[in-house]
Amino acid sequence: MFYIFCPYCGEHREEEEFHPKGQAHISRPEDPEATSDEEWGDYLFFRDNPRGVHHELWVHAVGCRKFFNITRHTVSYEILEVYKMGEQPSITAENYAAQQGAASADKERNASQAKHQEGVRA
Amino acid sequence: MQRYSGFGLVKHALSHHENWERQWRNPTPKKSYDVIIVGGGGHGLATAYYLAKEFGVTNVAVIEKGWLGGGNTARNTTIVRSNYLWDESAALYEHAMKLWEGLSQDINYNVMFSQRGVLNVGHTLQDMRDIQRRVNANRLNGIDGEVLDAKGVQALVPIMDCSKNARYPVMGASWQPRAGVARHDAVAWGYARAADALGVDLLQNTEVTGFKIRDGQIYGVHTNRGDIEAKTVGCVTAGNSGVMAKMAGIKLPLESHPLQALVSEPIKPILDTVVMSNHVHGYISQSDKGDLVIGAGIDGYNGYGQRGSYPTVEHTLQAIVEMFPIFSRVRMNRQWGGIVDTCPDACPILSKTKVKGLYFNCGWGTGGFKATPGSGHVFAASLAKGEMHPIAAPFSIDRFNTGALIDEHGAAGVAH
Amino acid sequence: MSNAQQFDTRLVGEHAGEIAVESPLAYSMHRSGAPKAKADTTVTLRERAFLGHLTLRGGAIVLDEALRDVLGMSLPGEPLGLVQDEAGERSIQWMSPDEWLLIVPGGEEFDVERRLREALGDAHFAISNVSGGQTLLELEGEAAREVLMKSVAYDVHPRHFPVGKGVTTVFAKASVILRRPSEERWELVVRRSFADYTYRWLLDAGEEFGVGVER
Ligand SMILES: [Zn+2]
Repeated sequence: MFYIFCPYCGEHREEEEFHPKGQAHISRPEDPEATSDEEWGDYLFFRDNPRGVHHELWVHAVGCRKFFNITRHTVSYEILEVYKMGEQPSITAENYAAQQGAASADKERNASQAKHQEGVRA
Repeated sequence: MQRYSGFGLVKHALSHHENWERQWRNPTPKKSYDVIIVGGGGHGLATAYYLAKEFGVTNVAVIEKGWLGGGNTARNTTIVRSNYLWDESAALYEHAMKLWEGLSQDINYNVMFSQRGVLNVGHTLQDMRDIQRRVNANRLNGIDGEVLDAKGVQALVPIMDCSKNARYPVMGASWQPRAGVARHDAVAWGYARAADALGVDLLQNTEVTGFKIRDGQIYGVHTNRGDIEAKTVGCVTAGNSGVMAKMAGIKLPLESHPLQALVSEPIKPILDTVVMSNHVHGYISQSDKGDLVIGAGIDGYNGYGQRGSYPTVEHTLQAIVEMFPIFSRVRMNRQWGGIVDTCPDACPILSKTKVKGLYFNCGWGTGGFKATPGSGHVFAASLAKGEMHPIAAPFSIDRFNTGALIDEHGAAGVAH
Repeated sequence: MSNAQQFDTRLVGEHAGEIAVESPLAYSMHRSGAPKAKADTTVTLRERAFLGHLTLRGGAIVLDEALRDVLGMSLPGEPLGLVQDEAGERSIQWMSPDEWLLIVPGGEEFDVERRLREALGDAHFAISNVSGGQTLLELEGEAAREVLMKSVAYDVHPRHFPVGKGVTTVFAKASVILRRPSEERWELVVRRSFADYTYRWLLDAGEEFGVGVER
C-alpha cells in the first residue's frame, strides 16, 4: 500500500488516487522519419526493468490530474523521491548504492558507540 | 525411477510408507554440461525433461537459485486453456493442451489435470463480439469452443448472478470444455522426477551470478557454487528474466509486475468449473481441497517484492462478490503475489539472442502455467537443434523491432 | 477582445421554457425517496441544484487579476484552498496548479463568464461552463463527518481538513470534489452521471444517523 506525496497537491494521498504510467523520462524520437526500426522499437517497447532503484511516471488521477515522477525501489517498494515533470531525479541507482553503504557504516558506528556507552553504564 | 502405481501404493502401505525413494537426487554440479537451463520452475523442468526424453540430450543441468517450482509455478491459479485468438499463440497453447491431456501417464505422476471447462464471461456487447470472434478463430484452428448466452452460463453455474440487476449483467460467455485446472506443484515435481530419472542434474540453491561469453558465444555460467560450462544455455527465469538479460548485455521488452492470488477457507463443493471475467476482473475456481482459488489483476507498477497491493485485493473481491453474491460471507485464508514478466503484446518470448548459444524463454506474463508442457517441448526442440521450433519461431524477440506483434491482450485473461 | 463572445446557451424568446431543466437528483429522489428529518437526525443532506459552475484554467496571476476585477474575489493562495465571498454565495476552489472551480448563484455564470473573458482578453486561458455536468450536495450536522469517514479514505479529521480546504478524492470508488466551507457543513461536488449512485450511497451511509433530506 503506497501513501504517495503529490508534489502539486503538496500532501500525501492514498494509492487509489494514483495510476502508474510506466518508466519516466522516455522521450519520443525527435525525427520519426529518420528513426530506424530498431530505434523505434526501442522507444515503443523496451523499458528498464531493474531490481532496485527505478524512475517512474505517475498521475494523480483522482486528484489534481497532474503527471509527476517517483523514484522507487522495486524490491522494498520504498518511495525514495518524488519530483515534478521536467525535473531530474537526485537519487539514482548509482548514488543510492553509495548512500546505502554510507548509511550502514553510520549505523555500525552508532551501534558500536551505543555498545560502548552501555559498557560504561554497566 | 521407482514407478508409481496403485499396486505400489498397496505394497508400501505394508511398510507404513516409510520406504519410498526420494523423488530426485541432489547432485553436486559437474564441470560442464551439454545444456544448462537457468530456472527450475515448471517451464525449465519441462524443457529439461523433453530435452532428455525426446531429443536424447541427457547431459543437462537445471540451475535454480531457490527450490524447484518455488516461483510462479507455486503461485498461480492453475488454469489451463488454449482459446487464444491468433494462429501463432493458438498453436502454442493448443500444443500444450494436447500434452496436458497425456501428461500424467507420460511422466508417471498424477498432475491432477481436470478438464472441468473454462468460461470467459462477457458483460457488454463488445465483450460478446470479441468472444464470438475468438471462438470462431479457435474453431478454425481446431480448438474446441462455444458461445453461450446468459441462460447457458446460468445452466453451467447456477450460483452465479446472471440476473439483469447486476451492475455488469452477464450477457454470455465463451466456453472451452477441454480447458480446466491442474495441480501446480505436482507439475513441477512430476517433471523434476522424470527429468532426474533420465539423468538431468537438478541443482537447487544454486544462483547464476553471470554469464561466460567470449566472442559473442556463450560457454558457461558463473554461480555461487563455481563456474559451470555449457555451449547452450536456456534462460527460463520468468520475472527475473530482465535481470538475467542485463547480465548477458541483452535488452528485453519486459516489465516485471506483482500479480496476486488468494484462497478462501475450504467449503463444500459448489463450483465445478472455472469462471473468468475480464470486465469486472476476477477469476475463480474451486480446488479439490474445497478452497476457492481467486486470481486478481496485476499491480500497474514494476515490482519484485512477490507481494501485491490491498486496493487490488479489494477490487478483485468486489468483482467476485458482484458475480457470486453467495460468496460474500466466505473468509479468505491466504493471499500472495508472484512476479510476472509482462510483454508489450501479452505474448511470450521464445527466442535466440545476439549471444550465440544463449536462448530466452520468458515474457509469459500472467498466463505461463497453462503453457508449461508446450513451452518446455518446443523450447527443448529449439535448444537441441539450434534452430527455433516452428511453433516457437513467431515468438522471436525481433518482433518488437520488426512490428510483427501477436496481440493477445484480449485472450490473456488478466489485463496488463 | 477576440475571446469575449456571448456564451449564453439559455433558450430565449418564444423558445424559453421549452425544455424542462431537471437536477441530476430529480430521478433519484423520485425513485429512492427523500427521508424527512426526525427527532434524532444528526445529519442533513441537501442538493443545491442549478448553481453556476465554471472551470477556469490558465496562469494564476492573470486569472487572479481578472477575478478581482469581475467578482472582487482572489484565487486561493495555496493548493487545496477554498475561498468564498462574504455572503458565502460565490466560491473559488483550487483544483490543480492551473485550474480552479468557480461556483456562483445559478444564472449568474453566463454573465460572469462573459465578463471574465473580457477582462482576460488575449491572455492564455480557458473557461468552461460545466454547470450541467455536475451538482453540489451538502452534508450538515454533527454526524456529517462520520458519514464521510464511511465513504472516503481521505482523512477528514478537523486537524487535517480545516475550514477553507477542498480536495478531489475517491468517494466509494467514484470521484468527488470534497470541500469544507464552514465548521458544520461539508460540500460534495459530484458528476451528473455519478449523482444517483452518490445519493443512494449517502442515504445508506447516513441511515444509522437518521439522515434527513431537505428539498
Ligand atoms: Zn495532486
